[in-house]
Amino acid sequence: MSTPAPRPICEIHKLWTVFGRNIIHQDLELTINAGEVVSLVGGSGSGKTTLLRHIVGLTQPTRGEVLLFGKNLHAMDRVPQQRLMNRLGMLFQQGALFSALSVFDNIAFPLRELRQFNEATIRQLVLHKLSLVEMEPDAGNRLPSQLSGGMIKRVALARALALEPELLLLDEPTAGLDPERSENFVELIKQIKHALGLTVIFVTHDLDTLVSLSDKVAVLADQRIVANCSLQELGHIDHPFVQNFFQGIRVRLERTG
Amino acid sequence: MAAASFQVEHNSQGNKHVTLYGQWSLRDLDNDFAQLRKALKPYFADNTVQWDITHVEQLDTAGAAVLQNGWGSHLDDKVTLTDQQRALFTSLADIPQLPPAKAFSLDSLRLITNAGRLTIFLSSHIADFVKLLGLLVLELAYLLRRPQDFPWREFSANIYKSGITALPVTALLGFMIGIAMSFLMATQLRTFGADIFIVNILGLAVIRELGPILMAVLIAGRSGSAMAAQIGVMRVTEEIDALATMGISRILRVVLPKVLGLTFIAPFLVIWTSVWALLGGAISANIELGLGFRFFFEYLATVVQPVNITLGLIKGLMFGFIVAIMACHFGLRIKPNTESLSRSTTSSVVTAITCVILIDASFAILTSSIGV
Repeated sequence: MSTPAPRPICEIHKLWTVFGRNIIHQDLELTINAGEVVSLVGGSGSGKTTLLRHIVGLTQPTRGEVLLFGKNLHAMDRVPQQRLMNRLGMLFQQGALFSALSVFDNIAFPLRELRQFNEATIRQLVLHKLSLVEMEPDAGNRLPSQLSGGMIKRVALARALALEPELLLLDEPTAGLDPERSENFVELIKQIKHALGLTVIFVTHDLDTLVSLSDKVAVLADQRIVANCSLQELGHIDHPFVQNFFQGIRVRLERTG
Repeated sequence: MAAASFQVEHNSQGNKHVTLYGQWSLRDLDNDFAQLRKALKPYFADNTVQWDITHVEQLDTAGAAVLQNGWGSHLDDKVTLTDQQRALFTSLADIPQLPPAKAFSLDSLRLITNAGRLTIFLSSHIADFVKLLGLLVLELAYLLRRPQDFPWREFSANIYKSGITALPVTALLGFMIGIAMSFLMATQLRTFGADIFIVNILGLAVIRELGPILMAVLIAGRSGSAMAAQIGVMRVTEEIDALATMGISRILRVVLPKVLGLTFIAPFLVIWTSVWALLGGAISANIELGLGFRFFFEYLATVVQPVNITLGLIKGLMFGFIVAIMACHFGLRIKPNTESLSRSTTSSVVTAITCVILIDASFAILTSSIGV
């Protein structure tokens, strides 16, 4: 099978993040290609979530630039910027569902904002997304406060997928779920990734999720990316944090074969 | 990769043949499905049109849903498509429909059911309110037995937040109202040659009525809303539950310091507001009527009986209590969503101000023979 030339979706060049006197990122470089599932790992407070927020344009790095689909979000006009943002979907750690809107309206929200579809089409698309995340259609009438943690994650995923994005960002996708649910959720993301051909960047602390979901691992340590390679190749990288981390995942790698 | 487009051909029998090209998906940012749907509308309506979508480069559910919506629910022979595309359409068609929302009906019982609902709603409010009052009394009784448990830190924090930081704004408002009232009265009184009575009217009005009311309206808007929102967010983030699991009474730690703090500081705020209003009035009277400051305040002491100050202070106590207890009552009823948060915060302010004015009116009638 011939592999097509890698198409970069997200490129980060010489990125610095400084909070007060704290340097979080220093000359950070990272490239993520289309079709990859990349997990971002690193110790607590190493700036994983901050990096994720830089990528989606919520925050601006102190120095350096983030290119999404080859464009710098912060250097764009408002309308093209908005359209470019539609090509990515983000799943927040707590779901970040609009608490005043029902599940149905939450998923319909980005579709309605687009102003291209009539209500009948929107309804069909919302119900399709609900079935994609394996939720019953009558859950659509409920409010986010009436959902369990796992269901909130599913609805949030459905909302992130509403506009069929190319890039999906997940912040701790399985945090707060019990092992069985988190396994199911990972399976779900894998299925959707397969069905829709997504590029996925995610942050996690859960090693099981990491091993079963990611093709590549980007390790954040010493304020930069010290490794960006497949799980197996991590063993060859000479860095104390990476070695330590690899010990943790080796057992799991052997178990899954 | 090209944006979604279509071509129409007429064959020899006069039948139309529509062929779709390009990317029928949301990923192509140049696509506008609303325009495509409008352009395709005449062909959707015509049942004899033959469709060919095998040349489409990429079809996602959004594109498919738009097409299916135009064609009607079932695909028949009129569409040529690949197996993969057929699977997509079948999966879209298989989606169960949302149970229809309850139709809006105008039955004759609606008025009665609405009245019933309103009654239940109001009685639940009253029940909750009485419960809150009862809990407060119980906590006070508990504190009498164990005075060392009194939440001093929260109490003083509330005094600072809702009392001390309110000083500039109450002073400014009192001062401005004093100036405005005195200005308007001066021109009226001068026509009757009754200049001197400005001291009587202004003194009585400010000390007895305006001071307490101005203070109550300001702290209801300022501190009452903040208290309701704070308790609401503490409920949403389960902070109140966290307190309960530590064996700490939420009434003792959250509600009581707010109620006591505001009740305690409110009379002082009344004095503060009244003093500034009188000062504003004196300045205005000095400019308009030429009354000296020394004369104004000496004469004020002789014409306004001290009992009026007591009445103003009692009102201050009551209003402070009402604003704080309303804020806590509505704050504790907030449900974990943004809509409920805003509604309850608004209700707490509106109800507090309404109650304050109602009580002020009845108080004025009851005490009409005292001090005038």
